Amino acid sequence: MKRFLLFIVFAAFVSPALVSAGESGAEILKARCASCHDLKGPAPATIRQLWKRDAPDLFYAGNKFRREWLVAWLQKPVRIRPAGVNYLRTINSTPTHQEKTKKGRKYDVLWGAVLKPLKHVTLSKQDAGAVADALMDLKPHTALVAGVTLDTSKKVSLDAGEVIFDKVYGCTSCHQIEPGYGGYTGAELYTAGKRLQPAFMLSYIKRPKNWDPKIWMPNLHVSPDDLQKITNYLILLSKEDFSESN
Amino acid sequence: MNPIKFLFTVAALMFVASPAVHAEEAYLNYKTYCMQCHGMHGKGDGVNVPAMNILPRDHSDNKYMMKRTNTDIYKAIKFGGPAINKSVRMPPWGDTFTDQEITELVGHIRSLCCEKELVRGVNFK
Repeated sequence: MKRFLLFIVFAAFVSPALVSAGESGAEILKARCASCHDLKGPAPATIRQLWKRDAPDLFYAGNKFRREWLVAWLQKPVRIRPAGVNYLRTINSTPTHQEKTKKGRKYDVLWGAVLKPLKHVTLSKQDAGAVADALMDLKPHTALVAGVTLDTSKKVSLDAGEVIFDKVYGCTSCHQIEPGYGGYTGAELYTAGKRLQPAFMLSYIKRPKNWDPKIWMPNLHVSPDDLQKITNYLILLSKEDFSESN
Repeated sequence: MNPIKFLFTVAALMFVASPAVHAEEAYLNYKTYCMQCHGMHGKGDGVNVPAMNILPRDHSDNKYMMKRTNTDIYKAIKFGGPAINKSVRMPPWGDTFTDQEITELVGHIRSLCCEKELVRGVNFK
């Protein structure tokens, strides 16, 4: 009898996991993602609201991501922003923890959870596909990408692209263009071409504020020509294999 | 409270409270946007700095900051480093902040570098 009771208790704990296998993508999103991710919008309109953000906003995921990347990432989640989504929580500048460099100067350091591997729900292949489909349906910002197309004729080599990216606009101050090369507070960009739709990249770089009113990425007033070149460069960059240097 | 006293209180609050509110907003803006490169305490020691070939300005460096006018600082924030012949590593923030917010940020930066001069009432131009 005791064994039977134990089995019942065990089954009660396990069954939600079994049931979830049959859930639709939208249901999984609601049950397992909505507690951290914003699925409804709008984006934070004040700094104080921005500081409360726990995870990237997903309410415009359908305008932003590539489906195949979502499916792969949801099965094997890894960190995309080295300093986390909300770097205000992860930077430590108390003198004892500051990093000293060769020249003896001290710098603020990353601290806490971001130094450990990302903690995120991992989904099965079937669930990941369903969730990716549900995310791709979230398209409130179609107007922002309407008419924005990538001009593939404005191709650049990796070197020329890096000059525009790094020297002309200074993007590497915050973004990494290979693992460990570049700043920490932006999202890594050596995977951006695989992760993001070209139209989103074009529209976001042109004016980040349109997508996220209080975001810490400035509008660099990139010329239309350079905009196409940078996007082509990021797509080319994401085809490089960085797994060795990881 | 009699009405005259009340009026005086309101007038006093207008002088005292509103700059404090602005100062807080400027502090929050600085802590959110500038801190990634200029550091939590404005010493040019932000978390992104080790990756940079050109170092961000140390805002607590009184000697250097006193050579710069408020207009210079305003221009650097609004139009980026190149506007005052400095590096592109300092991006233009004109689309992120309103002109009022930039003016307040200049005030905040002055409080980091030049507190003695502020108290003395120096004209920063």
